[in-house]
Amino acid sequence: MTAREPLLSLDGITRNFGAIEALRGITFEIGKGEVVALLGDNGAGKSTLVKIISGGLEPSGGRLVYEGREVRFGSPAEAKAAGIETVYQDLSLCTNVDVVANFFMGREIVKRFLGIPILQERAMEAATAKAIADAGTRIPSLRTNVEHLSGGQRQAIELNRFVHWGGKLVLLDEPFAALGVEQTRRGLEMIKRIAAQGISVVIITHIMAQAFQVADRMVVIRQGQVAGDVRTEDTTADEVVRMITGEAVKPPRAPIAEARTTGPA
Amino acid sequence: MVSPRRRAAIEFVLDNLVWFILVAVVAIFSFAVPNYFQIGIFANIIEQATFVGTLAIGLSLLIIAGYMDLSIESVMALSAMVIGILFAASGVGLGITLTPEWLVVPVSLAVALAVGAVVGATNAFFVVRLKMNAFIVTLAAYIWGRGLVVALSGGRSAQEMPAALRVFAIERFLNVPLIAWVSIVATLAFAFVLRKTPFGRHLLLIGGNPVAAYRAGIRVDRLTVITFILAGAIAGLAGWLLAIRTSGATANLGVGMLFQTFAAVVIGGVSLKGGVGSLTGVYAGVLLLSSIQTAINLMGMPAHFTQLIQGAMVLAAVLLDTMKLQIRKKLA
Ligand SMILES: Nc1ncnc2c1ncn2[C@@H]1O[C@H](COP(=O)(O)OP(=O)(O)O)[C@@H](O)[C@H]1O
Ligand SMILES: [Mg+2]
Repeated sequence: MTAREPLLSLDGITRNFGAIEALRGITFEIGKGEVVALLGDNGAGKSTLVKIISGGLEPSGGRLVYEGREVRFGSPAEAKAAGIETVYQDLSLCTNVDVVANFFMGREIVKRFLGIPILQERAMEAATAKAIADAGTRIPSLRTNVEHLSGGQRQAIELNRFVHWGGKLVLLDEPFAALGVEQTRRGLEMIKRIAAQGISVVIITHIMAQAFQVADRMVVIRQGQVAGDVRTEDTTADEVVRMITGEAVKPPRAPIAEARTTGPA
Repeated sequence: MVSPRRRAAIEFVLDNLVWFILVAVVAIFSFAVPNYFQIGIFANIIEQATFVGTLAIGLSLLIIAGYMDLSIESVMALSAMVIGILFAASGVGLGITLTPEWLVVPVSLAVALAVGAVVGATNAFFVVRLKMNAFIVTLAAYIWGRGLVVALSGGRSAQEMPAALRVFAIERFLNVPLIAWVSIVATLAFAFVLRKTPFGRHLLLIGGNPVAAYRAGIRVDRLTVITFILAGAIAGLAGWLLAIRTSGATANLGVGMLFQTFAAVVIGGVSLKGGVGSLTGVYAGVLLLSSIQTAINLMGMPAHFTQLIQGAMVLAAVLLDTMKLQIRKKLA
């Protein structure tokens, strides 16, 4: 077992919405290939933090150090270019177009004829079909508009989408909220699989069992501050719940969890 | 729950509804209106569709992307007046001649497109940069654009465009004048762009869910600016065609075309909610309006009938839009 290098360090991140201080100095690290569960009550600031990391919101203060360099993502496009994929709490699908168009949103396969980029529908459909089949998701037709699909199917499309595109860091904001038992189980396995490939994962969930199943470390946010940062093996569900509700004294910050033997060195 | 095949059939009819209506209307007129069923009449319908058809391209692109452009009619008139003043021989026309003479074709076209693009860019600035409502911004441009036409011309008209330009209105291919072909080719070109290129795909995505498109890394603001500029330039093209057709420009050139264009776009299946529509459908909508107008003319009804019917058509189109939405909801 070797200590992991940090992929992303958050240093005193703050964010105000007018008079509301949504984040009041968030500091923690995410190691390479580490799965961090981000926990906290509604309104604690978890989604805001995710949006800051993914380039959708600018922090009011603090620093982000990504792969050893201080970064500032001005847009989701920049964060994506740096290898950060996000599944947002409110789904990011365009319901007016079909599954394939959503899967390749912003990254369409094109071929140039006379310099004009032409969409390659067949290639995109084949790639989408493969990704969806690999994940065991069932969707009747990839050419139906997403508005005709169920909430679970929509969430599955988003999850499969980020797995397909890979990257270095994946942010999942309550990704399983609309999924059934079996789909959730597959989703959790998928997280372990991508972490084993050396991709870091931040997952927000309200379900303690899910967090304990996949996370190497738990970071608890309470009222815009870190109320706990513990290794999964050093804590219990009861203790984490007390941190979330503010009954526990803040324990010292845990180092990045050591890599599991399955992970890359 | 509807079976997939049945749903596909209903979707097909809804998507192409306007073509079915067009065929039905033309068939009815052909039986009911004396002298309607002639090649010459159909050529005339297509010729009449030129200006509204061209304007409808830009308006459709913007509505599909979730915006609105009320300025197109005034932009068209402004472009027509500017090239009228520059190149027409009498009236307020300065009668500038170029050597060789045909050079006036690309130069006047470039001027018309540029005038439109500039207005489109100012619209984009207010909407994208200052986050102002597109409806209000383009309504203002509709008003000041027309004001500028009157101011430039002093209320007078420009007449006698150069022969090199007039050729486009006189020469015919398959019975249809070249200006109408320009409009058809532009429609087909942008229909292709909308369906087959990433630019077109991104417009649909932005119209469907701009937040999702932004999160997916699509440069929403940049694309919106480009689309406003395109809509302006295409309105400039309509102005170029109209100046050629009327061999000049008047201060009230093209008044009323905005509403016809709106009607055509909505009848053509573009949802005012954004994210839905195709340009081939819109062209069918334009032809539908044009064939109704032709029937009214043939029956010798007074001109205000056209306005009454067009008003009713706009209402019917919006009603149809709502109805299609409800049918689609039931299907889901
Ligand atoms: N766009 C916004 N404008 C104003 N306040 C916001 C905005 N987004 C979040 N907030 C506020 O910031 C706080 C944290 O919200 P959020 O990050 O969504 O919490 P969580 O995801 O942990 O439930 C809440 O008080 C919320 O009301
Ligand atoms: Mg949240």
